[in-house]
Amino acid sequence: MNLRAIGCNVESAAVELREKLAFDAAKTQRALAELTARFAAEAVVLGTCNRVEIYVSRQETVAALHVPLMAEFLSEVHGVPASAIAPHLYEHADASAAKHLFRVASGLDSVVLGETQIAGQVKEAFETAQKFGATGPLLNALFPNALRVSKRVRTETGIARGHVSVSSAAVDFVQQVFSSFADKTVLVIGAGKMGRLTLKHLAELKPAAVLVTNRNPERAASVAKECGGRVLPWDRLDDALAQADIVLSTTGAPEPIVTLRRYAEKVRPRRGGRPQVIFDMAVPRDFDPDIHDGDAVSVFNVDDLGRVAEARMAERRKHLPAAESLIDSEVAKFVGDWNRRANGPVIGQLTSEVDKLRDGIMVPLLAKLNGKLSDAEKAQIEQAFRLFQNKLLHGPIAALHESSQEGQSGGLREALRKLFGLQG
Amino acid sequence: MSASVLQNVTHSCFALSYLCALLLELGRTFWPGKGWRVAGLAFGAAGLVAHSAFILFHQPTPAAPYGSLLLLAWVLALFYLYGTVHHAKQAWAVFVLPVVIGLVGLSLALATAPNATEFTVPEWAAGDRFWGATHGLLILGASVGISVSFLASLMYLLQARRLRKKLAPGGAVPMLSLERIETMNRRALNVAFPLLTAGLLVGTLLLSQGHVTGDNWLSLKVLTTAALWVVFLVLLYLRYGGHVPARRLALLSIAAFAILLVALVAAHPFAEGGAK
Repeated sequence: MNLRAIGCNVESAAVELREKLAFDAAKTQRALAELTARFAAEAVVLGTCNRVEIYVSRQETVAALHVPLMAEFLSEVHGVPASAIAPHLYEHADASAAKHLFRVASGLDSVVLGETQIAGQVKEAFETAQKFGATGPLLNALFPNALRVSKRVRTETGIARGHVSVSSAAVDFVQQVFSSFADKTVLVIGAGKMGRLTLKHLAELKPAAVLVTNRNPERAASVAKECGGRVLPWDRLDDALAQADIVLSTTGAPEPIVTLRRYAEKVRPRRGGRPQVIFDMAVPRDFDPDIHDGDAVSVFNVDDLGRVAEARMAERRKHLPAAESLIDSEVAKFVGDWNRRANGPVIGQLTSEVDKLRDGIMVPLLAKLNGKLSDAEKAQIEQAFRLFQNKLLHGPIAALHESSQEGQSGGLREALRKLFGLQG
Repeated sequence: MSASVLQNVTHSCFALSYLCALLLELGRTFWPGKGWRVAGLAFGAAGLVAHSAFILFHQPTPAAPYGSLLLLAWVLALFYLYGTVHHAKQAWAVFVLPVVIGLVGLSLALATAPNATEFTVPEWAAGDRFWGATHGLLILGASVGISVSFLASLMYLLQARRLRKKLAPGGAVPMLSLERIETMNRRALNVAFPLLTAGLLVGTLLLSQGHVTGDNWLSLKVLTTAALWVVFLVLLYLRYGGHVPARRLALLSIAAFAILLVALVAAHPFAEGGAK
C-alpha cells in the first residue's frame, strides 16, 4: 500500500488559508487530472468548509508523495505560496491514512462530533474522482469501505444520536410530544433570527399548516412568504395559540406577551387537553415560564435548548472510545485484505517464475534420460522437483501472508520482486 | 415437540428467559449495539416458546388465579415481542418484561395446588362450562387491555416527567412520544371496557342462575371486578367528557391495574364453589 492523506483542517489551518485552498468544481477537475497525469497516482480531493484533503495512492514501487510536493502542487492550483501552505498540512501514511479517512467519514474528526453531513461529502468527493477517472484499485476499495464504516459507527454507537445545535434540539423535544406532524399546526410569533433557524428545522417535519403573526404585518408577510405560511393579525394571537400545536416565539418584546393568567383564561380552556409545545426563543422571554407543566403544555426557552445541545454533545463524547475501537478493527481488516489482495499477483508471478526454472532443468534432463527410465521413475523425478519447489517457496509465501496480517507486507513484496526478478 | 419434552418445561424456563431478555435490553440502553437487541430478542422468543409449550401442555384455566395470571403473562409476552420488533429504537422490553416476569412470579406463588382447579380446554367449552369459559376469556381480554393501558400510563408518566424537568430527549431509555403513548392507552381502554362489561354481564348471569354455590355475590373477586368496572366508567368519562390532564388519567389507569391484580389473585367463585 502506498497511500497518503495530505491536507489541512480547522485545527491545523485558519479559515483564511482554508478559504484560499478551497476547491470549486473546475479546480477539482484540474487537480485530479494533474495528480493522475503528473504523478501517476490515484487521487480523491475532499474539500469541505472545515477541511481540504487530498488522498493519493501510487504503485508500491515508486516513491510516495509527501507534504512538500503536495504543498507545491496546491500552490500551483490555488496561487498561494507553498511556504504559506506547507506548515499547515498534515500527512497520514498507509494504514494511518485509511484510519484518518474512516474517522473523517464517521464524523470523528469533525467540529461537531458525529455530524452526518461529512459522509455525504466524502461520497461526493469519491464519485467526482471516479467520474474523472482519477481512482484506481486502492481508492475504489478504500472509499466505499470508509462509507460503510461510517454507517456502522453511526448505527452501532451513539456518536450521531440526537441534535446538537440549539435550533435543531427543538426538533428532538417536539418529537417527544408528537409522533405525526401531518395534522399539526405551527405558529410563528415574531421574526427573530434564531426563530427562523428553528422554523427551518421544524419545517422539515412537514406540519399541516404554518401560521405567522407579528405586530408588524409586513414582517409577518415576509416570514410567511419564506416558510409558505399564512398570516394572522396580531390581535388574533389568542385564537392562533388555541389552534397551534407547536408555537415558536421570537419577538423583541420587553415584557412577556403571554402571561400565565392570559394563557389560563384565553388559551388553555379552548385546547381541550390537546398537548402543546412552545419554543420561547426570545430574550427577554415572551411566555411566562410557569405555563410549562410538561403534560398539556411544555415551554422551552433558549437556555433549555442550549443545555440539551450541550448534554447531547457530552453524550456523544462518551461513545468516542467505542467508535475509535470499531474503526481500528475495520482499518486492520481493510489493510489485511488489501495486502492479501496485493500479494496475489506477486505469489502468482513467483510461482510461475519458479515453474519455468523447474521446467528449464527438468524437461532437458528427462529428454536426456529418455528410454532409460520407466514412466513410474519419471513421475518420481517430477514429483521430487515439485516437492523441492514447494519447500523452497513455502518460507517466502508464508512470510508474506504473515506480514499481510500485520499490515506490513509492502516491503517484503518489494524484496521478493527484486530477489526473484519479478516485474513490478 | 414430544410430551416428555413439554413436561420438562417449567416456570423457571420462561421466567429466566424473559429475565435474560430484560437484562440484555438494559445492557443495550447503556452500550448501544445490534448484538444486544438480537440476543435479547432470541431470549424473549425462547421464553415465549417455552411459555406457550407450558400452557399447551398444562392448559391452566383462567377461572383460577394461577391460570389467569399465567395466561395474562403469555399475552403480554406476545405484546412485548410485537413491540420490540416494531419499535426497535424504543426501550419497549424495559417496560413490558418486568410486568410479564412479575405476573409469572405471582402465578407461581399462587400455584399451591394447580391440579385442583385444572380442567382442560375441551371441558370448559362443553355444555354449562361454555358460558364460564366465555366469561373467563372476556375478562382475560379485558385484563390484557388494562395491562396495556397500565404500561402505556407508566410510559406516559415517565415521558411527561422528562418533559416537565426539561431533560434531554432520548436519554438512557428511549421512549415513544406522548401522543403515541396516549393513542395506545386510549385504544387499550376502548377495547378493554366492552370486554369487561360483557364479561361481567355473563358472570352476573351465571351467578344469578345459581351456577355457583355459597355467598358469592360478596366475594372479593366479584367486588373488585365490579369496582374495576366503576373505575373504568369514571376513567372513560374523564377521558372523553372531562378533559382531565392526561397525567391524572394515567394515574387512574395504574389504579385500575392494581384493582385488576387484586381481582385476578382473589379466588374465583366458580373455582371455589365449583361450576356445575
